[in-house]
Amino acid sequence: MIGQQLAGNLVNGFVLGGVYGMATMGLSLIFGVLKIVNVGHGAFIMVGAFITLWMFSSLGMSPVFALPVALITGMALGFLIFSTVLRRLIKAPELASLLATFAIGMLLEEIAKNLFGTEFRGYNWETGKLVLPMTVLPMSKIYAFAGSVAITVLMYFWFKKTRAGTAVRSVVEDSDGAQVCGVNVSWVYALSFAIGIGLTVLSGVLLTMFIPVGINPYMGGSYTLKAFVVAVLGGLASPYGAFFAGLAFGLIENGSYTVFAALPGVEPFALTRFISFVMLLVILLIKPTGLLGAK
Amino acid sequence: MALLQLENVTKRFGGLVAVNDVSLEVEDGESIAIVGSNGSGKTALFNVISGVYLADEGRVVFKGKDITTLPPHTRAPLGIGRTFQIPRPFSSASVRENVAVGAMFGTLSGAISVDESLEVADRYIHLVGLTPHTDKEAGSLTPVEKKLMEIARSLAMRPKLLLMDEALAGMHPRDIDEMVAFLKRIKAEEGIAIIAMVEHIMRAVVGFAERVMVMHQGQKLVDAPTAEALRDPRVVEIYLGRPAEDETHARG
Amino acid sequence: MKAKHTKYLPLLPVSCAYFILFLIGKNVAGMWQLMAMLAFYCALGQAFNIFIGMTGYVDFGYVAFLGVGTYGMALSVSRLAGFPNLGLGVVVIGLILSFVMAGALSVAVGAVALRLRGAYFAIATVGVNEGFRYLIEGARIWGGAEGIIFSGQLTETLGRDTASSLSTFWADVMVMIVAVIAAVITVGYMRGRVGYALTALREDEDAAKVMGINVTKYKIIAFITSASLAGLLGACAWALKVMYVFPPEAFQIQYTIEAIIIVVLGGAGTLLGPVVGGLIYGLSKYWLAVVMPGFQLLIFAPIVIFIVVAFPEGVVGWVKRRAKGTAIQSYLL
Repeated sequence: MIGQQLAGNLVNGFVLGGVYGMATMGLSLIFGVLKIVNVGHGAFIMVGAFITLWMFSSLGMSPVFALPVALITGMALGFLIFSTVLRRLIKAPELASLLATFAIGMLLEEIAKNLFGTEFRGYNWETGKLVLPMTVLPMSKIYAFAGSVAITVLMYFWFKKTRAGTAVRSVVEDSDGAQVCGVNVSWVYALSFAIGIGLTVLSGVLLTMFIPVGINPYMGGSYTLKAFVVAVLGGLASPYGAFFAGLAFGLIENGSYTVFAALPGVEPFALTRFISFVMLLVILLIKPTGLLGAK
Repeated sequence: MALLQLENVTKRFGGLVAVNDVSLEVEDGESIAIVGSNGSGKTALFNVISGVYLADEGRVVFKGKDITTLPPHTRAPLGIGRTFQIPRPFSSASVRENVAVGAMFGTLSGAISVDESLEVADRYIHLVGLTPHTDKEAGSLTPVEKKLMEIARSLAMRPKLLLMDEALAGMHPRDIDEMVAFLKRIKAEEGIAIIAMVEHIMRAVVGFAERVMVMHQGQKLVDAPTAEALRDPRVVEIYLGRPAEDETHARG
Repeated sequence: MKAKHTKYLPLLPVSCAYFILFLIGKNVAGMWQLMAMLAFYCALGQAFNIFIGMTGYVDFGYVAFLGVGTYGMALSVSRLAGFPNLGLGVVVIGLILSFVMAGALSVAVGAVALRLRGAYFAIATVGVNEGFRYLIEGARIWGGAEGIIFSGQLTETLGRDTASSLSTFWADVMVMIVAVIAAVITVGYMRGRVGYALTALREDEDAAKVMGINVTKYKIIAFITSASLAGLLGACAWALKVMYVFPPEAFQIQYTIEAIIIVVLGGAGTLLGPVVGGLIYGLSKYWLAVVMPGFQLLIFAPIVIFIVVAFPEGVVGWVKRRAKGTAIQSYLL
């Protein structure tokens, strides 16, 4: 019955949505602080996915261990990219940073392609299942969801309670004012970008729970679009708004899939992806600063 | 009929009232100085007049036409010109091309050709004394030269009202005198009304302005002929005392 | 003071470049394919440059317009094949259809996206090519995910010989013509009011508005122009040559990437830039395909990064700067 299928898909969508939300936090953070849109966002998710794959297949280590590795790799990568490239583009016209982040994403994809080839890969992490009335959820997905929630909560407290987090928030509000108050703005930029990329790579680990055989160098592209929809929905500069927007997006994505699957004469998967794009345009039209976030 | 009329104009940003119930009338050819500390609402007022902000309440009437809801690019050709506190040149274009933009799009006479605009540009570049720099990239000019170019660019729009934002900030006293004389000349020659923001520059206020307006926390505090205004104790306070307190008020 | 006749002088080197490509291709055995590919890349760059170079906005979904153009030609040939006596008319109609369809898509996207400022616009366009592809596949229109194969109909309508010479020769000549048209439009825009408005809004959108420039109007003009030309390119360089259209191929991001590389490398906002960029990129890709296939993006990605950071004006921009005050200045735009 469509009702049960819908419910099942919505549960899946909710769980996935939480991870989408967490995956977008980095994007929102980077935009909020540096006013740079990381067009290569998806490529960093791909990096996280490959780290997980490699650690599982070659080292036999569960994805749990991939989490810290991904975070540290991401932060190091972010720091490297900022200090070599983006630092010089803070004052440049927007076009420059858009092109640079795009090219960086491309570079990562090409490196991955040459290292790993273009075939789709996956891995199987059996940790049991949760049987619910409307659907069966693998525990790995639940762990991923829990991980996303945990990270989001941690980030929330980091922003609100730590000195570094407060400094970051002050730069988002008003970078000139923050500077006058003694905040080392260039250090905040570097830190924020590093954390942003770190979070994104980390989310790649979590997302692999949802793509049993979908890991390949070019997987990032579709996630970039979804991340933009989520980011715009949640407020482009609001990292924790992104989480709730992610939940909403996950629900809408899976909900619409179910509806389309029930309609004759259409391809549900393709049409769902079209709907994501339409959502993006609609939200940008109504309120570019986000339906949930203020800034 | 006054050239510009503001009737009870208010502009809010969330909880902050940037312009608070300001009414104002400017006649053809008047020269007015607006004084007030940072946060007093001067720039916001200019933005409301030029259309960068749309007023939340009240009306803006220019040459008898209600322009309250018009976007900035439609107001400019009606005769409102504006320079910015920190000059905003089109850096990669030449000085000539910059000034030509003003002539090309800023006048009501419909489609004025590129060649005509370049000729008009040359004239105004000469007027502000930048002729040797005509073909230089605008981004390579000194700050003072950029200010002059902005003035030329705005004048090329043949405005009836010129809003000058801190036009004299950072200039040597001698340059200020020259600038004041220059402004008076163009006022007379081109028949423009000029509202200038000249925070704390006494000699400019005295030399240039027929009227002085004082803004404080979004409200118009004083609006009187210069001699009278300078005798007003509130104006004297703003010039001589309490700027620190004004700052904290404005930030709060 | 520029006299009227020197306004269009910069078209000379550009037209010469395309003419030389044509001559080499026609007269040197086996070179036509390469020359055609180079011409395509130059044309792609020129069309793309009209938007990105002049407005400073980047459309990450640009390939959607090429894709739509491909469909325009495909639809015309496949649906009109049955009409008697149309002959080459199907191709002409196909060209018109591609032009119009690409233009229409750009109006639809632009109406929403161009009201947004730079970064938001870029975000909005990221999904355009995917979005349109999934619309076609999802709603199963125009052949859905299987696309349209029209080689049969083309041969039927035009006869084997004409169809063959069309797809192996005349389609490429049309690409060169589109390139020259794009160049002419570029000069016309750059030297005219449109160019001044676009330069102003590119440098400082708010200051431009206060000067009386309707920035949205000019952005739209550049966007539609750029898109419609891309539509024509899709029709000529893709549809007519392979005689089929297949959604994943027609909308793949590869071509947006290449267009970006070409424009950035050559010099965004210049007339000659895309030509130079197209030649450099095309030749490199061709050479690398022999030596190290599949590597060209790996090599060009860091080059793009480097140029964006260190030489944002690109090759031609750099040369223009050096050539200031010299005799060749009037040939460089």
